[in-house]
Amino acid sequence: MSGVILAVDDSASMRQMVRFTLEGAGYKVIQANDGVEALELAKTSGADLVLTDVNMPRMDGLTLVRELRALDSYKYVPMLVLTTESGQDTKMRGKQAGATGWIVKPFNPEQLLATIARVLQ
Amino acid sequence: MSASTAESTKGASPAAAAAGFTPELQMANMLGLCEAQMESAIHDSDKAVDALIQAFTCLVDTSRSVNALTAQLPAEIKETVGAGLSQQVEAISKQMASAVVAFQFYDKLSQRLGHVRYSLSTLALFVCDRAQTTSPDQWRRLLNTLRRLYRTEEERQIFQSVMEGIAEEGPVTIAALQEGPAGVQVGEIELF
Repeated sequence: MSGVILAVDDSASMRQMVRFTLEGAGYKVIQANDGVEALELAKTSGADLVLTDVNMPRMDGLTLVRELRALDSYKYVPMLVLTTESGQDTKMRGKQAGATGWIVKPFNPEQLLATIARVLQ
Repeated sequence: MSASTAESTKGASPAAAAAGFTPELQMANMLGLCEAQMESAIHDSDKAVDALIQAFTCLVDTSRSVNALTAQLPAEIKETVGAGLSQQVEAISKQMASAVVAFQFYDKLSQRLGHVRYSLSTLALFVCDRAQTTSPDQWRRLLNTLRRLYRTEEERQIFQSVMEGIAEEGPVTIAALQEGPAGVQVGEIELF
């Protein structure tokens, strides 16, 4: 597998778990602590996929998705939301913001990799 | 007199207020104590889990190095020990995948305890104002605030079980929720 994945989560341990999983499969992982940091990072280093949490300080994940979708370079980049939230309302807001999919934590490494491979096709 | 004490003595009898004692203030102090205990416990366990994750990171790196070294073994050695080594590395990888799922439960636990802490401090502020505590509308507003706070499936189920089925069945339903199916449950995936 190849590609650059931007992983966004305010929990350092969650970022570590995502990094282990993705690097083990051959992806390059860049990380951000919140939406603001992710937006800056996304502008300077192109990502092939964005994997973001929802509840974060400064800028939440759904705002991040919306902001990224407004950029020409991220119009068609897959964006997956990885969150503990499973409510239909929040999912719907994610879909409206432009998210490609919704993954409820805890993720299964194999299923996460299969989903990423699928949306990157 | 501090602002919170002044707030908490609103509506109390002059004698009780003068002595700095009100049931509301005592309740707020007790809730504050619970919140502080919880914060301290979370802080300590965060440190322990950080150390565990550091150790796990080293294990992952070592496992990957062994895997890379196995791939570089000369053909004659690969024939004798290569297959065995690969099997062992594969077994370690499977265990690590299980550990990745388990670590995420700690993250979820921290988040849920954070919500409980927020609930306790919100309630502590609320009970200090007698004008609020005597108003059913204010209680409903507080309940709605807490409802919005609990966003994971487990939190929502417990909220519903306790607050909407608040009668005698409450604790029984929570126990049933906690039993759940055997094994570690992972979250759902939905593509839009």
